[in-house]
Amino acid sequence: MSFDGTLSVSEGIATIEVKGELDASTAPRFHDLVDQAAEQGAVRLEIDARHLGFLASAGLRSLVFARQKMGDEVRIAVIGATEPVSRTIRLAGFDHSIELIDA
Amino acid sequence: MMAIDSGAASAEHTAGQERCKARCAGQPLAAKAASGLRIPADLDSLDLVARFVLELGRQGRLSDSQTYRLRLAADELATNIVMHGYRGASGGICVDGGVEADRVWVRFHDDAPAFDPRTGMKAPDLEVPLGERSVGGLGVFLALTAVDSFDYELVAGRNVSILAIHRSEHG
Repeated sequence: MSFDGTLSVSEGIATIEVKGELDASTAPRFHDLVDQAAEQGAVRLEIDARHLGFLASAGLRSLVFARQKMGDEVRIAVIGATEPVSRTIRLAGFDHSIELIDA
Repeated sequence: MMAIDSGAASAEHTAGQERCKARCAGQPLAAKAASGLRIPADLDSLDLVARFVLELGRQGRLSDSQTYRLRLAADELATNIVMHGYRGASGGICVDGGVEADRVWVRFHDDAPAFDPRTGMKAPDLEVPLGERSVGGLGVFLALTAVDSFDYELVAGRNVSILAIHRSEHG
């Protein structure tokens, strides 16, 4: 399963770029990036999902973890998700708490 | 009906596939298949499941959306078997599938304790804030909603789940 993720933080905005496929075999790496973003005290978390080809529930759990660890005041956005990925996020009801931008 | 084997499966699994065929043969199942692959019950096997389903979708001429839904359900079910069926213990999963006139299906056999994965489904509680929400059962929920049918039966002590997408529907 191919997955690549990178974290950058600038002016309080943490951006995680995810590429490839997120399921139970790769989600721990995404989880670690979310954890690192939270540790750096970001006030906003942006997940660049333009190149995320597949998202399973294990990836969604990391978003729950992000919300739990960063608190309600931190805005979390998923940017540029493909149609099936954004559909999964909506189906799970995560779009009530996480912004979907350009999706 | 056309049944396929995963051409992408690694050589190390070839012997396992033969065992799978032998073990699956003669069982009174809802659908027949000529071949399949047997994979170790661990998360590294999800890649093999994905490749198997993607090839099946291609052969069944499913749309990209249909193939994605079948793959999502198969990935979630396989994960469920590994994490909640075998609970980290070693074991195997047989995967086969086929293309019929009206549907494309994928079937999983495993020897974990008897468990109907459908009973573990839990729809998201949209009234609960995300950070307080229990995500148990979310994978099965996604699997059940992704496919057009999700059947389970216990056959000779083995868990057998069949996922299917109707070919007549597009999108």
